[in-house]
Amino acid sequence: MSTSTSGDSTRTTGGSRLPTLIFMAWRNIWRNPARSGLTVAALAGSLVLLLLYLGLVAGMTRQMVDHATDLALGHMQLHRQAFVDDQDLYATLPWNTLKELETAFPDLSMAPRLYASALASAGDASNGVLIKAVDPQREPRVTRLLEEVREGTSDLGPAPPTDAGLPRHHVLIGAQLARNMNITPGAELILVTQAADASIGNALYQVAGVLKPIDPAFDRQGVLMSIGAFQSLMVMDQGFHELSFKLKDVSQLDAVQAAVAAKVQALTAAQPLDKLGGPPLLRNWRQIAPALADMISMYDGVVWVIGLIVVALAALGMVNTMIMAIHERTREFGVLRAIGMDKRWLLVMVLIESLLLALISAVLGVVAALVLIKGLLKDGIDLSASMPDGFDMVGIVIDPVMPMQLEPMHVIYAALLVIAITMIAALLPSWRVMRVKPAESMR
Amino acid sequence: MTSHTFSRRKLVQALTAFVLMPLSLCAHAMKVDELIRHIDDLWRGETSQATMSMAVKTQRYERSMTLESWSSGKKASLVVIREPVKDRGVATLKVDDNIWNYLPKINRVTKVPSSMMSGSWMGSHFTNDDLVKDSTFADDYSSTITFDGVRDGQKIYEITSVAKLDAAVVWGKVVNVVDQKTLAPTVARYYDEEDKLIRTLRFDEVKQIGERFVPMRMRLQPEDKPDESTVITYEDIRFGVPIEDSFFSLQSLQRKR
Repeated sequence: MSTSTSGDSTRTTGGSRLPTLIFMAWRNIWRNPARSGLTVAALAGSLVLLLLYLGLVAGMTRQMVDHATDLALGHMQLHRQAFVDDQDLYATLPWNTLKELETAFPDLSMAPRLYASALASAGDASNGVLIKAVDPQREPRVTRLLEEVREGTSDLGPAPPTDAGLPRHHVLIGAQLARNMNITPGAELILVTQAADASIGNALYQVAGVLKPIDPAFDRQGVLMSIGAFQSLMVMDQGFHELSFKLKDVSQLDAVQAAVAAKVQALTAAQPLDKLGGPPLLRNWRQIAPALADMISMYDGVVWVIGLIVVALAALGMVNTMIMAIHERTREFGVLRAIGMDKRWLLVMVLIESLLLALISAVLGVVAALVLIKGLLKDGIDLSASMPDGFDMVGIVIDPVMPMQLEPMHVIYAALLVIAITMIAALLPSWRVMRVKPAESMR
Repeated sequence: MTSHTFSRRKLVQALTAFVLMPLSLCAHAMKVDELIRHIDDLWRGETSQATMSMAVKTQRYERSMTLESWSSGKKASLVVIREPVKDRGVATLKVDDNIWNYLPKINRVTKVPSSMMSGSWMGSHFTNDDLVKDSTFADDYSSTITFDGVRDGQKIYEITSVAKLDAAVVWGKVVNVVDQKTLAPTVARYYDEEDKLIRTLRFDEVKQIGERFVPMRMRLQPEDKPDESTVITYEDIRFGVPIEDSFFSLQSLQRKR
């Protein structure tokens, strides 16, 4: 009977009781500062860990995408099917495709490329290589490839002829290849290959520079030359193998891809291509490097699962704190019940205590993480002492300096996650206050 | 009594067969060895000098070249392109496991690394390895005669050679078919380790040169590209030509242009 009356009065005056309850909860927390402090420290610590991890993964993901798109892939690439399938030397797109596309899409930057395999010799060393030919004017508008020179220069123009008057061109080579063949800038390189007309293509080159590691295959085997030098070596000028695109605004990627694909299709209809090379194929960087795209989306999932585990472990501390706090105060709860406090309000008060602890932890955790990431680690985590060349992950070379990047939404989600898990953890022990019997507990 | 005598006769028969069997096996084995050695040495001889034409047909191009070659056993060989004019003087020297190319246009010699051995030789369907290989059926394969009789109106031996476990060879199995009368090969089929037919080499236009019958034309057909082939036709081949060892050197490679 008395419970129901008290319940009624609660309903009518509940609104004004909330500030009182919050005040009581706040006071209750600081009755045992050491215990509350430890709980807050554990929760805030778990939040800092989660945010550091999120920052590291976001930074690395961003770096990988930038690496992939700015250094080698571009945002989209156009090929012939047979070139994608087995690097068919003859699967080219005609040069006027480039001209037409540049006229139709003045906002897009485009860079044509050609590829061939060859045998390179320098002194006694020889090695199978992959020739990549770029347009020295257009390439810098799409990728930073030509800026990534470790030694020497990025000059792809004609080189001084030999003493016997034989003409030479400049080339850039991969760092690993330079090491394996013991080549430094200025050295002579001989390339022998089977040209497009089936003759034996051979010419002399001078190494202008050595490129930084960009992609592992190019690093081991790559020889970079101008399209002009390629055409005279390979006796082929009918077209290009690859056209790389760069967008001003990447968020428009899907729409631009559809528009360019439609234009390419129209061009192909007007000027049919040979059958053997297959149809033209336009792919964005996610389609070209699915392993990278998959890994990025997988990372997102994994980060949150790990975050959940870390926070849940810290929340176990919260469970302990609440069990102790409630156990100690059984008598006090009995008194509160006896003087007419509704047991549901008792529960609310205890839950407010947990919420306050969670909020304090969230604020402290976010502040600490911001101080760490924006302050101490603003230049990223530098591993260049142990890995000067970075490391290779799904075919993308990662910088030895790992940048941290904190996304605002990640911070909000992580803080909410800490609060939510803490409240769930607090719910079970708090439920015990509902079962407090005033007479027994005060005995 | 009769049954006893009978069984005794049978016993004698069985014993005779038992005693003679190893002999007949031995004779067969000798025949395989001889055939294999014959195939191994057919084009090699002690020394040889040849002029040949090579026609390469692929989906993308058709091309014919005239080549001049010298060889000394399985150790050394030199091939020089005479035609087309664009590639004239390009030479390939093989000594033991090494291949060098001489390129007259840039006046340089380059060495073909072992990683490029499976690459195409001069744009043909033959590989550098075909040129260099000093593997022999006798040393690197265990061979048996798997057919001895008339096939397609021709008395032939079919010799199946399976790569020995420790042999560093490209093929898992090679089946050679040899004409019984002339001992000239007619077909060689090359299989990989999974017993899949990779390429077929057919021989014809057999000509008697000295003691031996040599097919003057061979046509290599890769199984995965039925429209493509490489045909080598010997215009002239001579064996036992006196060639000094110093002939097969980097110096003479550059002189041979």
